[in-house]
Amino acid sequence: MSYVGQSIPMLTNAQLVAGKGTFTDDVQLPGMTFMAVLRSPYAHARIRSIDTAAAEALPGVLAVVTGQEILENTNPIPETYDTAAVGARGVEWYSLCIDRARYVGEAVAAVVAEDRFAAYEALDLIEVDYEELPAVTDPVAAMEEGSPLVEPSWGTNVMASRDIRLGDPDAAFAEADGVVEGVVSSARITGAAIEPRGCVASWDPYKEILTFWDSTQAPHAVRMYLAKTLGMADTSIRVIQPHVGGAFGLKLPTFQEEPLCAYMAMKLGRPVKWIETRAENLLVGGHARDTSFRYQAAYRSDGELIGIRLDVIADIGVPSALCGWGMSFVTWYCLPCVYKCQNSETHLRSVVTNKCPWNAYRGYGKDAASLLMERIMDHIARETGLDRTEVRFRNFVQPDEFPYSQVSGAMLDSGNYPGALRKVMDMIGYEDFPALKEQALAEGRRIGLGIAMELTPEGCSMPGSLMLNGTDSTEVRVTPNGNVIVLTGVTSPGSGNETGIAQIVADGLGCDIARISVVQGDTESCPWGFGNYSSRSIIIGGSAAGVAAKDINDKMRKVAAGMLEIAEDDLDQVDEAFVVRGAAERRVEFADVAREVYSNPHGKNMEGIEPMLQSVRQWKQGNVYHQPEKQGRFSAYPSWPYGAAAAIVEVDPESGHVRILRYCLVEDAGTIVNPLLADANLHGGIAQGIGGAMYEQIAYDEAGQSLTATFMDYTLPTAVELPTLELGHQATPAPFTPLGTKGVGESGVGGALGALCSAIEDALPEIDMQLTALPLSPSRIWAAIQDARAREGAPA
Amino acid sequence: MLSTDFQFFAPTALDEALALLHEHQDGGKVLSGGMSMMPAINLGVLRPTAIVSLNHVPGLDGLEDAGDHLRIGGLVRHHVVQSDPLVRAHAPLLAQAASVIADVQVRHRGTIGGSVAHADPSADYLPVLVALDATVELASASGTRDVRAREFFVDVMMTALALDEIVVGLRVPKVPAEGGSAYVRLARVEGSFAIACAAAVAVGDRVSLGVGGAVPTPVHLDVTCDGSEASLDAAAEAAFQACEDAYGDLNGSAEYRRAMARVYARRAIQQALAARG
Repeated sequence: MSYVGQSIPMLTNAQLVAGKGTFTDDVQLPGMTFMAVLRSPYAHARIRSIDTAAAEALPGVLAVVTGQEILENTNPIPETYDTAAVGARGVEWYSLCIDRARYVGEAVAAVVAEDRFAAYEALDLIEVDYEELPAVTDPVAAMEEGSPLVEPSWGTNVMASRDIRLGDPDAAFAEADGVVEGVVSSARITGAAIEPRGCVASWDPYKEILTFWDSTQAPHAVRMYLAKTLGMADTSIRVIQPHVGGAFGLKLPTFQEEPLCAYMAMKLGRPVKWIETRAENLLVGGHARDTSFRYQAAYRSDGELIGIRLDVIADIGVPSALCGWGMSFVTWYCLPCVYKCQNSETHLRSVVTNKCPWNAYRGYGKDAASLLMERIMDHIARETGLDRTEVRFRNFVQPDEFPYSQVSGAMLDSGNYPGALRKVMDMIGYEDFPALKEQALAEGRRIGLGIAMELTPEGCSMPGSLMLNGTDSTEVRVTPNGNVIVLTGVTSPGSGNETGIAQIVADGLGCDIARISVVQGDTESCPWGFGNYSSRSIIIGGSAAGVAAKDINDKMRKVAAGMLEIAEDDLDQVDEAFVVRGAAERRVEFADVAREVYSNPHGKNMEGIEPMLQSVRQWKQGNVYHQPEKQGRFSAYPSWPYGAAAAIVEVDPESGHVRILRYCLVEDAGTIVNPLLADANLHGGIAQGIGGAMYEQIAYDEAGQSLTATFMDYTLPTAVELPTLELGHQATPAPFTPLGTKGVGESGVGGALGALCSAIEDALPEIDMQLTALPLSPSRIWAAIQDARAREGAPA
Repeated sequence: MLSTDFQFFAPTALDEALALLHEHQDGGKVLSGGMSMMPAINLGVLRPTAIVSLNHVPGLDGLEDAGDHLRIGGLVRHHVVQSDPLVRAHAPLLAQAASVIADVQVRHRGTIGGSVAHADPSADYLPVLVALDATVELASASGTRDVRAREFFVDVMMTALALDEIVVGLRVPKVPAEGGSAYVRLARVEGSFAIACAAAVAVGDRVSLGVGGAVPTPVHLDVTCDGSEASLDAAAEAAFQACEDAYGDLNGSAEYRRAMARVYARRAIQQALAARG
């Protein structure tokens, strides 16, 4: 039997459910000390001086560090997304502010003490003389003449811009039957992982090894960036990723606290632990998605979209070394998503403000692109009077057009968009819904149905990047006892790819999965790799694992054929045994072959065969285009999963309160290695999608003070708000990966945004309500209802 | 993160607790369930120098039938208020309110006395207690006194409590057998604070209405309502007018909260009328 395709429970379940996982805060070392970080109370301020004497005098305090010491002893944190390579502006970002704090929460000083209580108490004793500077928190205001500058040396607050014309938009708008125009915006959000960030650093001055436990996604990248920041050899650093309680992109390196913690451990010669509080996580743990669009869409009367004009403004917070700001490019790059439209004019502005920097978050800008396109499709449907699904069917890239060259240069690998939409319409009962709606209305209930497509490219590979990279490696070792160790360069943030990779290796070796142990997240033992993000662990790490397993299987087949004294062509593999084809009683067991390899390397069965059963193999993705001069295009994403979502909601028109009654998603992530875990990822993705659509928002006041310091203010959906999630799959295998896998880690997020807007509007068809801003909170929906009624002159 | 030293007292008698509180009234805080105080301490917004726990003081967690009212000790936990047969029979709206406070863990720790003393404008008990015309029993080292709930709440998280006083209990009038009651609330997610909430007690066509969530302190109104659309509209309008000092925050503007006070007052009245015995 094949393990790929089976719903194997996650290999780490027993340990994690028992509460016996080892997370970063569980790491205990003799002599451990604790670090706390003093954060700027101002959105923008010059640091005139810092007096640390009182803090240093507090019993239990071991050291207080400020920006000046960091400047003298460390280097700037390397960028994970090369700004110069893409024509963007960059900054030198140190582990502490040197002379200027640029947002509320930026790290100004740090204390290391014998315990966390003393460390936090000492923070209050550090006296910082700040000179408050003008701050800007609105990206539109930030682009105006005379605005305060987040980076005065730039002379502008625009970090990056793109002005791109594709096709002939002027002609398209001139010949259109109609044009819709409007605005759409998505709120600033974060991932709210159940485990905030944290790290433990320990310096061994005799071995000259820094061991660094980190709640991260990319241990090898952390090692390299720490080495650069601290000015040491990367081989003197070992990074260990313990269990991670959720990451969602937000734990991609490098934050200020990571090198800061390592520096303090080396300075003091004592292990240092830093564990982020929830309030810190909301304040400084990385934000995302705060994007607004102004669009014009030209269409024909049959619903065909023929031209788009677009202004995109991304409020990316302060510039940093983090890769989050790249999300604003990805939003543009995905357009027009699953649809065909050859003519477009886009103006993208990635604008810095005095807010927390963006870091990567599940969806990575693809979500915002889907939201925009689905709003445009609904808008065209509203204007033309066509059914919302008909407009989408009219504009889809068709199944026989793959691989499809999108206007942006993206090469969409495969898919069947109309198939997915039809399937989700069947699941939700699209044809029967009008009757259901009528019946609900008779009972005084207002229900609506919404649909939306999502496109979620995966496997991101950027030129010049040592983090966003399209390669990875896996080592497979079969021991003399016939057990298997798999060491991967990819990591798991709790999503279960170790289980999927074990399935791939078990199939490749023809052994029982119970023989397999998977080791991840340790730079000392695992081969070089880039960790987990962009759903790459199965598509890249899993592909490398499959190739390595095949190496070993090839060798074991040769040895088994020798042991059975037959030609290799006459060999079959059945249930952990190598058998003679047609005479299965003549067999050697998997473990016997392993023993033969190790114990008789000079024997007849090993003649001409390299000893041992170990293979490290690398995988490089196809369908990535980094040589536009030769290839005629640039494309960073090889794999293009997509989905079709449908939601039914009930709206209370008096309060604007919405209850989601049903939610369906049909997802095409190609070949699914483990349906159980794929569905689990989709559950999380949909929940985060619904959260961003309806509940979540990081808010600031005009002075740049955060209004969302706790979960009382940053509203997350609970299990009560989420309906039973109904999932359907459609598998169009990817042509560019060995198993046809496409990645499923970010799927489910983007479709929720448009589907819920659409469903809520559909519940109240008698009023011309257009939802243009997320989150769809009751107060916002109520206000939209009031606005629509006021426009129609009806009583509110 | 609690980062400064403080004294912690766990007295085992009421007079001992009151004496300690009197002694430490400057910087001291009372701990019952700790469901609001501990987060405030952890966030660093509250830094008590002394904490006096009531959790080992006997006699504060009683709940008994006292004829025309229920007497509920200040240390009675929300889950008891939610499930106690006496409350469910005689003040069902109070049980309803208790059942939607935060989550199961909070309801097993948090106390009715603590909630009343904390006086968060969105607390579920507050409109219920003013609708029922409950009495708050206070005690300090110098004696006891009673304050009507309708006069107890002064401003956002400010009450008639003196620094050395505690809420020892509440006297909650029973809903008459021929009456009906209801408690309704609007919140963004399960367990989050109410944007607007309303409690109504109807006897005949007389309705005692409490509105919370939208305003700094719970609003009380006596209205007459026969259940007709016109009378419901008039009562809701009265609630709207009474909430002119509605406040706004991330969950809703002042305008929205005030509008919701109207909507939820109407719903509470309608349900209370329908629930009449």
